[in-house]
Amino acid sequence: MRALNTYTKSREAFTRAAKVIPSGVYGHLGPAEGCFIPVEAFPLFGERAEGTYIWDVDGNRFIDYMCAYGPNILGYCDPDVDAAARAQMELGNCMTSPSTKMIDFAELLVDTVHTADWAFFAKNGNDVTTLAVMTARAYTHRKKIVFFKGYYHGVSPWTQKIDYAGIIEEDVCNNLYVDWNDYEALEGVFAEHKGEIAAVIGQPYMHGNFQDNELPAEGFWGKVRNLCTEHDTVLIIDDVRAGFRLDLAGSDHFFGFEADLICFCKALANGYNVSALCGKDFLKNSVSSLSFTGSYWMSAVPFAAGIACIEKMKRLDITALLNEEGTKLKKGLTAAAEKFGFDLHVSGMPSLFYLRIADDPTLMLHQEWVAECVLRGVFFTNHHNHFINAALSDGDIAETVAVAEEAFETVRRRHPL
Amino acid sequence: MIGQHNTDEKTLACINLFAVLGTLENLCSMDEEAKSLAADKNTSISFAVAGGPAATLFFEDGVCRMKSGAGQGRIRLPFSSVQKFNGMIDGTVTPIPSKGFMSLPFLLKNFTRLTDILARYLKASPEDLKDPVFFEKSTTLMFYTIASAISQIGNQDKVGQASASYMKDGIIKLSIKDGPTASVCVREHRLTTVKKIPKAPDAVMEFGSISIARDLFEGRVNSLACIGTGEIRMGGMISMLDNMNRILDRAGLYLA
Repeated sequence: MRALNTYTKSREAFTRAAKVIPSGVYGHLGPAEGCFIPVEAFPLFGERAEGTYIWDVDGNRFIDYMCAYGPNILGYCDPDVDAAARAQMELGNCMTSPSTKMIDFAELLVDTVHTADWAFFAKNGNDVTTLAVMTARAYTHRKKIVFFKGYYHGVSPWTQKIDYAGIIEEDVCNNLYVDWNDYEALEGVFAEHKGEIAAVIGQPYMHGNFQDNELPAEGFWGKVRNLCTEHDTVLIIDDVRAGFRLDLAGSDHFFGFEADLICFCKALANGYNVSALCGKDFLKNSVSSLSFTGSYWMSAVPFAAGIACIEKMKRLDITALLNEEGTKLKKGLTAAAEKFGFDLHVSGMPSLFYLRIADDPTLMLHQEWVAECVLRGVFFTNHHNHFINAALSDGDIAETVAVAEEAFETVRRRHPL
Repeated sequence: MIGQHNTDEKTLACINLFAVLGTLENLCSMDEEAKSLAADKNTSISFAVAGGPAATLFFEDGVCRMKSGAGQGRIRLPFSSVQKFNGMIDGTVTPIPSKGFMSLPFLLKNFTRLTDILARYLKASPEDLKDPVFFEKSTTLMFYTIASAISQIGNQDKVGQASASYMKDGIIKLSIKDGPTASVCVREHRLTTVKKIPKAPDAVMEFGSISIARDLFEGRVNSLACIGTGEIRMGGMISMLDNMNRILDRAGLYLA
């Protein structure tokens, strides 16, 4: 049996942090939103990262299946991406005039992404989902946006719900909601709001938290595409989370349809901070008309990193590689679960998999198992999809499966059949 | 009528009846004077609010119990509007019984004294809270009031209903370590609070101590930060807790 991690320095750091930072660590990297259950099983602060590993401030090493919640696609500190970033840093980063690296990057995206006739850069996924919605409203002169329940499109007020702190009714009064994969419901919403719907926004498949991930039903996206076209409604694909893990040409391309606008971030530059909205030519003038920019949005270093990242992803045939690794991991984890009498569901795409022990609807068994894995150096989270990166080796997968087995065995001892 | 922060008088009336007056059940089991005021009595008071809630408080041998519905009370207090009922709770409206004049002494003396004691615990002075026994009783009663208010807000309040609409069926166990426990039961997006330990909860949230619970209730600490420090424990169907906490955030708007 492996020795269990301890987190003395993490706890000390959190105590310091909580005095000067709201929630100590806010957002998805923090213990509350990150669902660290129990909190003592999880590291709270990291020290360094390389390849597929992260090391926390106590020196514990983890095989990391969160990949910084997506940005790590080639492996942390990828030498090619970091070299490109360093070279650009020598020349200039945040400047009064943008570097022509911005044009190079846009040209590369237009060549790579199936639906892209242009690219607009920002910093976070939320920037470009917001830009996409503004573009749709500017183009259509309509108010309403249709969402698929279980969505996540960022943290701007329009993406949140009426019961969230800081949100007022007016922020969300033009939001319409339908169930994922329910085309008839979507048709009904279009009929009820004829001529009012600016856009439909969706992730390429349902990778919402707290539930098994669900791929689109056969023909679903094609019908949605036709409905949007018929009603002059803009179809936005939020590919912030799944982008480049399904298809380098965009996840709409993977599922056989064309979005009007597609949002990228996370895996775009292997951790360097840049996001992009790509779209069709007919929307280019609408984007041009918007007042939308930021202090660091044209910084050159992330553009250089993004170019190096996309070129390397192409060389590696990254989507095939990640799905192959993910499939091996899925088989190993499922077999480990079966060995101890657990029914582990692995849903979603293998490169972007979601885990759930289905034996216990309360998910308490699942939370126990995840905690035991983390204590043994495999970083899973409880209720979010996971991410594969290109630096993950067969040896790492074997180690992960061995840890998972030990964790299943421990949980089974506590809960005998 | 929708008021500030999307709050409304009907939800407030439901909270005042089921959560605030409902806490008399717990008061009578925890406070000796309250118990004595309800002892050797066998009476009941019905509250019927036009366009709002109705319930009856039964007092028997020192025990107080609340039941939904207003048909059975010896003393019957009708209110022409939710505003009038809320006025009684904040002391600006004097209720006039429609039935039970023989029991008026209980209403005027015992019941009034009971609500005064309850108010002393629920709106405790800094001086009273220096006494650790009082502090614990006060916080325990606040816990029951808030736990009951969660269901009223989830069922009545416009924003609370949105949170409830995202909740799956199941039972949430809400507790203070080594202290009180309540269950918030969700069925088809309707919430019911039962002041008992559930047998098989789907989600659990435990405040680590009576003092951390108090700090949370009074807004001195934040629940997200407390999860990080381990002062709040959670487990099970986190999405249920997530939505319940959004409802909990609104409790302060009504109970302030």
